[in-house]
Amino acid sequence: MAYTGLGRSGGPTIGQNSKGGSGRQLIVCCAASLVMFTASCRMGSSSPLEAVRSAFTVVTTPVRYIGATVSVPFQGLGNVFANLTSDQESLSDLKAENERLQARNAELEESEQTAKRLQDLLNLKDSYSLQSTGARIISASTDSWSSTVTINSGSASGLTVGMPVMASNGVIGQIVECGATSSTVRLLTDENSSVSAMIQSSRAQGMLKGSATGQVTLDMIASDQEVSVGDVVVTSGLGGVFPKGLPLGKVTNVEKAAGSLYLQITVEIFAGTENFEEVLVITSLTEGQEATAEDISDADAQDTSKVVSSTSDAAADDTTDADASTDGE
Amino acid sequence: MQVSDKTHDTKGLAILAAVCAVLQLALAPNIALGNGRANFALVFAACIALSRGGSQSVVCGFFAGLFFDLTTTGPIGLMSFVLTVTSYFLGSEQRNRMSGDFAASVAAYSAATLASTLVYCLAMLLTGNSSSVVDAVVFRAVPATFLSIVAFLPFAYYFSRVRSSSALSGGHFSRRGI
Repeated sequence: MAYTGLGRSGGPTIGQNSKGGSGRQLIVCCAASLVMFTASCRMGSSSPLEAVRSAFTVVTTPVRYIGATVSVPFQGLGNVFANLTSDQESLSDLKAENERLQARNAELEESEQTAKRLQDLLNLKDSYSLQSTGARIISASTDSWSSTVTINSGSASGLTVGMPVMASNGVIGQIVECGATSSTVRLLTDENSSVSAMIQSSRAQGMLKGSATGQVTLDMIASDQEVSVGDVVVTSGLGGVFPKGLPLGKVTNVEKAAGSLYLQITVEIFAGTENFEEVLVITSLTEGQEATAEDISDADAQDTSKVVSSTSDAAADDTTDADASTDGE
Repeated sequence: MQVSDKTHDTKGLAILAAVCAVLQLALAPNIALGNGRANFALVFAACIALSRGGSQSVVCGFFAGLFFDLTTTGPIGLMSFVLTVTSYFLGSEQRNRMSGDFAASVAAYSAATLASTLVYCLAMLLTGNSSSVVDAVVFRAVPATFLSIVAFLPFAYYFSRVRSSSALSGGHFSRRGI
């Protein structure tokens, strides 16, 4: 007679653990999953499941917020251990006073930095004439498959899917899901992120894309364009989502592969999201912030000239077999 | 003969579900290894499957996966499908694999985690949410698997050692599973 009940082994049982019925549950649950999966993939953001997800996000936001708040002190855990070992010979009252002052000092420094960040955001808002609303990052992504953050504003604050989000030093991403009181922002480093961008100095236009490795690249820049390490990358305004001229990052590496139509450009993003700081959500574009017809024609001309050039190169290659290897280089 | 205490079982299941839900929402986003994050929905489903098995584990796996899907930006229904199937196979044995057998439960869980993460990875590739199989496996699946295994260890220890010895010493009478 099994007394402890923790095991499923041995003996007849009363109650649970009937494997016989699990096959039916398996079929039902798998069918339900596949229906939801199909609906989610085919209907995208118009799926009713997205409304459920938005409601779920609203309900779970407090828990996410608590998690983010609780985790903040642990960022300086290493310093706490160092202090504990170095102060062992100090008098207890002086040690306590020192710790109190250090804590107060850290608190004030934090307040100062917060004030500075907010001032920077205000300056940014003024300098770019942005129609925007403030928000705060409350949580990072909960899964391994996307680079996103959650902010504490949603449709109740006038936010919608597609709005750009930026920190004081540059763009961080774009809203991809919007609940009533919180929104999910896809970061520039996300694999599915793609933003129209250009080199500030040469005005060469391309697409800034994220990757699974977290590396951000600037694609579609023709190999005859001038790009140097250290060049600043800004939004081009093409597409009408991001205002023109917002800082994105700087070029850290430029490679020109033999025979390639485009340069391989690596970009370091200006704005980090590790510290859960304040952000601005750009709610609408004002006049002059969208790409002009001239910008669009420049971008088209850049691609067209490259295609024509590559076509003529290919024709030349066909006619001069002997020099083919030299042309390839 | 074993007699199941359904009231206690339900209470234990609810507590485990609540703990894993809070950990998934509050802890998982703040502890990352590269792009990988622990999957506490998988931990919950595995605990139920390994300790209880049967139809209950399949249903728990489904709802745990659905919970995970709703907390992410990925397609809804994918993780619920994966965890439903995973729970079915993990819970297919007619015994409690977590009771007093720490190593075996961790080994079974590790294999299931790797398999389910790779299936999820493959599905993300097929749906266009990921573009490179190498990047997806190296930078997402492997770290996520590692962290999910680490996250399972305290639960496995509790159910295999603490809970087991508590039951043997008379703390529980005739209860299986949680």
